[in-house]
Amino acid sequence: MAQDEHTIVKEGVEKETVDAVKSLGDKYKYGWETDIEMDYAPKGLTEDIVRLISQKNEEPEWMTEWRLNAYRRWLQMEEPDWAMVDYPEIDFQDQYYYARPKSMETKPKSLDEVDPKLLATYEKLGIPLKEQMILAGVEGAGEVPADGDNSDRKVAVDAVFDSVSVGTTFQKELKEAGVIFCSISEAIREHPELVKKYLGSVVPPTDNFYATLNSAVFSDGSFVYIPPGVRCPMELSTYFRINAENTGQFERTLIIADREAYVSYLEGCTAPQRDIAQLHAAVVEIVILDDAEVKYSTVQNWYPGDENGKGGIYNFVTKRADCRGDRSKVMWTQVETGSAVTWKYPSCVLRGDESQGEFYSIAITNNMQQADTGTKMTHLGKNTRSRIVSKGISAGRSNNTYRGLVSMHPKATNSRNYTQCDSLLIGDQCGAHTVPYIEVKNQSSRVEHEATTSKVDDDQMFYCRQRGMDEEEAVALIVNGFAKEVLQALPMEFAMEAQQLVAISLEGSVG
Amino acid sequence: MAIAKEKLLARRRDALSARLETLTLPEGGAWITEARKTALARLETMGLPTGRDEYWRFTKPESLNAAEPEPAAVFDHGEETPVFDAVERTRIVFVDGVFDAAQSDDLSVDGIEIERLEDAARADIHWAKDIYGAIETRGQTPVERPHAALNTAFATDGVLIRVTGKAEKPVSLIYQHKNETSDAFLHNVVRVEAGGELTLLENGPAAARFNKVLEVDIAAGGRLHHIRAQGRDHERRAVTGMFVRQDEDSLFKSFTLTVNGRLTRNEIYVDLEGPNASAHVAGAALGHGDFHHDDTVFIRHDAENCESRQVFKKVLQEGAIGTFQGKILVERGAQKTDGYQKSQSLLLDDGANFLAKPELEIYADDVACSHGSTSGAIDKDMLFYLRARGIDEKTAMDLLVIAFVAEAMEEVEDERFREELVERLEGWLLRRRG
Amino acid sequence: MLKIDNLHVKLEEEDKQILKGVTLEVPAGEVHAIMGPNGSGKSTLSYVLSGRDGYEVTEGSAMLGDIDLLELEPEERAAAGMFLAFQYPVEIPGVGNMTFLRTAVNAQRKARGQEEMSAADFLKFVRAKAKDLKIDADMLKRPVNVGFSGGEKKRNEILQMAMLEPKMCILDETDSGLDVDAMKLVSDGVNALRDENRGFLVITHYQRLLDHIVPDVVHIMAGGRIVKSGGPELALEVEKNGYADLMETA
Repeated sequence: MAQDEHTIVKEGVEKETVDAVKSLGDKYKYGWETDIEMDYAPKGLTEDIVRLISQKNEEPEWMTEWRLNAYRRWLQMEEPDWAMVDYPEIDFQDQYYYARPKSMETKPKSLDEVDPKLLATYEKLGIPLKEQMILAGVEGAGEVPADGDNSDRKVAVDAVFDSVSVGTTFQKELKEAGVIFCSISEAIREHPELVKKYLGSVVPPTDNFYATLNSAVFSDGSFVYIPPGVRCPMELSTYFRINAENTGQFERTLIIADREAYVSYLEGCTAPQRDIAQLHAAVVEIVILDDAEVKYSTVQNWYPGDENGKGGIYNFVTKRADCRGDRSKVMWTQVETGSAVTWKYPSCVLRGDESQGEFYSIAITNNMQQADTGTKMTHLGKNTRSRIVSKGISAGRSNNTYRGLVSMHPKATNSRNYTQCDSLLIGDQCGAHTVPYIEVKNQSSRVEHEATTSKVDDDQMFYCRQRGMDEEEAVALIVNGFAKEVLQALPMEFAMEAQQLVAISLEGSVG
Repeated sequence: MAIAKEKLLARRRDALSARLETLTLPEGGAWITEARKTALARLETMGLPTGRDEYWRFTKPESLNAAEPEPAAVFDHGEETPVFDAVERTRIVFVDGVFDAAQSDDLSVDGIEIERLEDAARADIHWAKDIYGAIETRGQTPVERPHAALNTAFATDGVLIRVTGKAEKPVSLIYQHKNETSDAFLHNVVRVEAGGELTLLENGPAAARFNKVLEVDIAAGGRLHHIRAQGRDHERRAVTGMFVRQDEDSLFKSFTLTVNGRLTRNEIYVDLEGPNASAHVAGAALGHGDFHHDDTVFIRHDAENCESRQVFKKVLQEGAIGTFQGKILVERGAQKTDGYQKSQSLLLDDGANFLAKPELEIYADDVACSHGSTSGAIDKDMLFYLRARGIDEKTAMDLLVIAFVAEAMEEVEDERFREELVERLEGWLLRRRG
Repeated sequence: MLKIDNLHVKLEEEDKQILKGVTLEVPAGEVHAIMGPNGSGKSTLSYVLSGRDGYEVTEGSAMLGDIDLLELEPEERAAAGMFLAFQYPVEIPGVGNMTFLRTAVNAQRKARGQEEMSAADFLKFVRAKAKDLKIDADMLKRPVNVGFSGGEKKRNEILQMAMLEPKMCILDETDSGLDVDAMKLVSDGVNALRDENRGFLVITHYQRLLDHIVPDVVHIMAGGRIVKSGGPELALEVEKNGYADLMETA
């Protein structure tokens, strides 16, 4: 059979992907839990709980008030129901809103003082909280042939365990560069002027049901400030771990890139395997001033629940970047493989003239997972540009929805958007949906939206299998090719991890 | 139920009760009385739409809901001959929503049975019983279309057409508008029997406010071509619903040309129930100034190997608003579906707005579905190329406008009609230049 | 016929000078070639002469006979007899090639005070011209340049040239993307149009086109200026030694 190789195997699929599939055994390898003594706030949510969280974080009065206002507002709000996700009603009074390892009661002054159990947890997750040269979060990352600049790459980590940050690496080195990278609770205490100025300025406390809840009860998260003209000397990352049972995680991240600054930020998340679903409602705010650039990459691998939809994380996340300055630029890249329910729309407000927003997404759903994810590109400034590349892969009995908005305001003249949404279906019991909103209010802007839905090509499958791959390997290979454009947008270590995740997430989807 | 939802429903019901104050359920035979009653019951659970409804986010429903219509001046066509005039066809004329026997042709035609709704409504049993209101009901989920239920309940006029063979000439429904405050309901039903074939033409502004429903049931191997030109009266308002059910190997092709009109909401619902069926729906809308055009299309694939195409084009200027909401739903098991959707707008100046929501909802894996949506100004390179060949700017723009809508017009199979529509369009563009 | 004097052109959007004083005269009946390396301003010259947006003439003039080209809209220049065979002919989906040709021919006839051509006469006219260029009926029916091969697009340009009977023809890299047979067809088409009342400006990167369309004068353009002019032998020199030498001696 004479077949052109290029037409058969999608470009860009590395042999390593296939090897990775072989090397990884369990379906969800982060499903274990850490046995550690915890301090819980009483179950349920009241003004007192909000005050308690504020007090535990040793917050000033203004912050407590800010939270209480959000809480009062939240009481008036209703859970949104427009997304194509279906889950049992959440009892917001049946959750713990604050859980802290006992050992964290007095904040460790350095990483050396952190409870060894916690350090071991991150070690096991592949995120040793040591100041090392590369992010070891990924097996095989060390074996990546160094292409020159990779060999001395450093990644600073802020590790968040349930409700608190347990430590942040490389703080000293970052400080020398003028970069502030710490937990948000520390920032509220140490840098109130920055927090006051920017917190809630991108995602107001009244933004939406989950963001408002987060505003009231967020316990920790990361804070980044890159001063004018500074190119952050290393990649920054936050690793979120939910460990405690019945505990929601509500983290808040605030990133500010001052004029001409640059930072690349990575986020990873995992949780133990449990039968009862857990809530995660995060907020990420990014402020980008003139000529600054932020890259934000996420590999979301929360526990997805079992094959019958039992357990898993309900992931309701509000992420938004405000390109406030002229020529500012943001790039969101996400690989969404985990969570039972995903509700997440990392968005760009293109306020500055000539500002740019990009959104690259891979969302994989298998078994009973449901994902409703996408982006909003709000073009307000002149000559603004946005690009959306979304790759959805549905398998099992899952549902995967792309939902997006591209809005060209009357004053956003000469702006451009290009959107490409592709969906791939694996098996005849899943669903793939595309719900884009397009609003164009000036003539000189051009919006282009394209979407396709198809299944894994039979010829490609046959070709791979004829060459000796089993079905799962072949699917992983082809899906990685399908998602290549997005994988390429990730920092290299993350790209490796993401390729492996693609393979793992799709286990059991064929045959 | 969530409080917000309850509030919304209360608002919808308020809108409905205000509307119902000026209406009474018409009397008729057993079959239609039943259909009207269930339509009213359906309507009462929904209420009338509000601006907060998801599928009314781009279009304000108030003027369509109001108890009384806004008056609309009658457009003076001068010497111009009405559209489709040159073609031999069976003419059925309605003036402000009322059948006009004097202007209409004899309704007995070979291969088809045509009956007025008013006459059929007097009978106690009728073949239309299984269609009238039934396909509309199917089209109410998952998206509610209250104006169509309102129509089913209160329409008294319209035609019922049964196509038993290949109709020898098109049936032409002509909707004249003479009264500046007319508020018309028309409900038409077309049943194409197995192997039957018909071309259905519709044209005219109909009324100051027009609520029209067309229910179409196409049996195995049947074919219906539908061509519509909505009248040029600047101030008219219309909400139309086309509900189509197709059996295996059937074909439905529809094209609508809209120029002018203050508000037009054209809803199309197509249910592909039999394998190998094919549905092509297309529209071209051109407007300037106080013009709002809304195409809301829903195609449901519920059988294997069906094909659907949606091509909707809009040319907008001076504040005109064009909206498109289109969906391809592929049900589980509807394998080998080929679904295509394209919505495009050409904005001729900065005042124009294009709002779109092109959706795919897919539950079968062996499918090829795609949609594309673009919005932008006239292509400068094309314009320059034409001008470099000596064509003046305005003529070049018109050529490009016609070229832009050409893809939608391809759904008009009969060349006579296609050419006539292009000529009408050219005339419209020429007059627009002043 | 075409007289360009000290023409300075910059991009409208950015502060970038492309043409820095081009002076050139093409008398009626002559074929002039402009050769030059990429980025020398050759295509810009063709666009400026035909009136494309995006350029600003900061100095100098361009006259066609006694008509000031720079004062006119693109279609007025076309009516005055200026024709540009595009390097990349634009695809226009939805506009039939035939409709396009007829609209263009009649627009120009009208502008020149001639009567519009009837549909029947036009059909005869276009068929005759198309035959010479081996353009079949199918190509005439398809939308303008859509799905045309490189050779088909260029032949379509020459067909338009033949039908519009311009006074001054500019061929912008007409040889690019053509194989030997297509180049011969296109050249024959151009040569058939050579007469004492018509001028040609042939812009090309390579000498080979000039084997087929033999120029009277060859100009070398570099850095937005004509740096050297001469007979056809100049083209051969370029072919042999490249542009670098010439630019040094200039």
